[in-house]
Amino acid sequence: MDLAPGGAELQGIYSDIEAYYGARVAKYGATPLGVDWSCEATQNLRFVQLLKVCDFSTPFSLNDVGCGYGALCAFLAMRYPDARIDYLGVDLSKAMISRARRRFRAPDRRFVVGQASPRLADYSVASGVMNVNVGYPHAVWEDFVAALLGELRRTSRRGFSVNFISDAATASGTHGASRAPRLYRTCPERWISYCEEALGCSVEPLGNYGMREFTLLVRCQRNSADPTFRD
Amino acid sequence: MGAMIKDSTTLEILVQLNRRFDQDSLPEMVELQKEFDVFSKEHSLQQSFALLGIVPADWSERKRWYRFLEFLKTYPSDLPDVNGHDRVVKAFKDGLEVEKPIPISIKCHSAADDPRVFVTEDRPVIFTLETHLIVSIPTTPGREIRKQAAEVAKKRRAAKKK
Repeated sequence: MDLAPGGAELQGIYSDIEAYYGARVAKYGATPLGVDWSCEATQNLRFVQLLKVCDFSTPFSLNDVGCGYGALCAFLAMRYPDARIDYLGVDLSKAMISRARRRFRAPDRRFVVGQASPRLADYSVASGVMNVNVGYPHAVWEDFVAALLGELRRTSRRGFSVNFISDAATASGTHGASRAPRLYRTCPERWISYCEEALGCSVEPLGNYGMREFTLLVRCQRNSADPTFRD
Repeated sequence: MGAMIKDSTTLEILVQLNRRFDQDSLPEMVELQKEFDVFSKEHSLQQSFALLGIVPADWSERKRWYRFLEFLKTYPSDLPDVNGHDRVVKAFKDGLEVEKPIPISIKCHSAADDPRVFVTEDRPVIFTLETHLIVSIPTTPGREIRKQAAEVAKKRRAAKKK
């Protein structure tokens, strides 16, 4: 089954995700726990991996999909204080975006509520947005992941990066019929082949950074016929 | 610990610490140390543990936990001229940066037996087969502190009556 863009099933998933993270941020505030990460250090370690897709030698635009309360902005300021980055944070949760706007006020730091980025940027990153399956069957959740990857490809000029929880070492528990939120675990090959074959990208997997997860650095192939690649 | 934070908070923190530095979580901590130098002379223990999210769930206990970490600077340690705070930092830093890191456990011992922070290599519990780096913090349980305070007050009242 494919989830049609704008279809009722896809809207239902987005609505459930918004409710889930809205409740998290209401309970834990603008903290790593508010976006389901254990602490700031591990959150930052994920950012280190995701940002490896970017070329920091020249200014660039960046979409942060599922930006939460904007933790990546703080990390960019700490790690790359001199980099010129036109940042746009996108999140489903109004509560998250309102906290992000309060925390980061700058012309090149903008935030919007939405399901996908409204603009084409050089790069996109999405940290942890596919990890919490908010109660859908495995196949439906994988359709959602595929739709999200397609959207990242559509709105990224040079490349994008995403992370997943690895299915190594632990039982996946993703095939049950329960409607309770649970972790979506997968293996790199599943989504490397999707990005290469369906999205026409080249993929560099990163897995050796001490966490039970992996990051995919997805680079868009340049195609002169494709208007999105005009520099 | 003891007089500075609740006994229940001490237990909560010990569980958090020992979970984050056990065999399963060790690769993550090693990577965090490599990437961010979490434990170093440049950062206080308060900063390091806040970054790692090792804090009491109860907000009112957080300030006391951070105050306790600062207070470790007044403790002696098993190394000459190194205070308790810096000894803990050194133990974590060295433990995570060695070629073959081993799990790290935090334990408490009676301050009456030994007032120093000390570091050893041992098995923290009898059923563990792996050797851990053990950081032991001198502690006086809250009940002991309260007992001592009650005795002092009792003596003061008795002296007043005379």
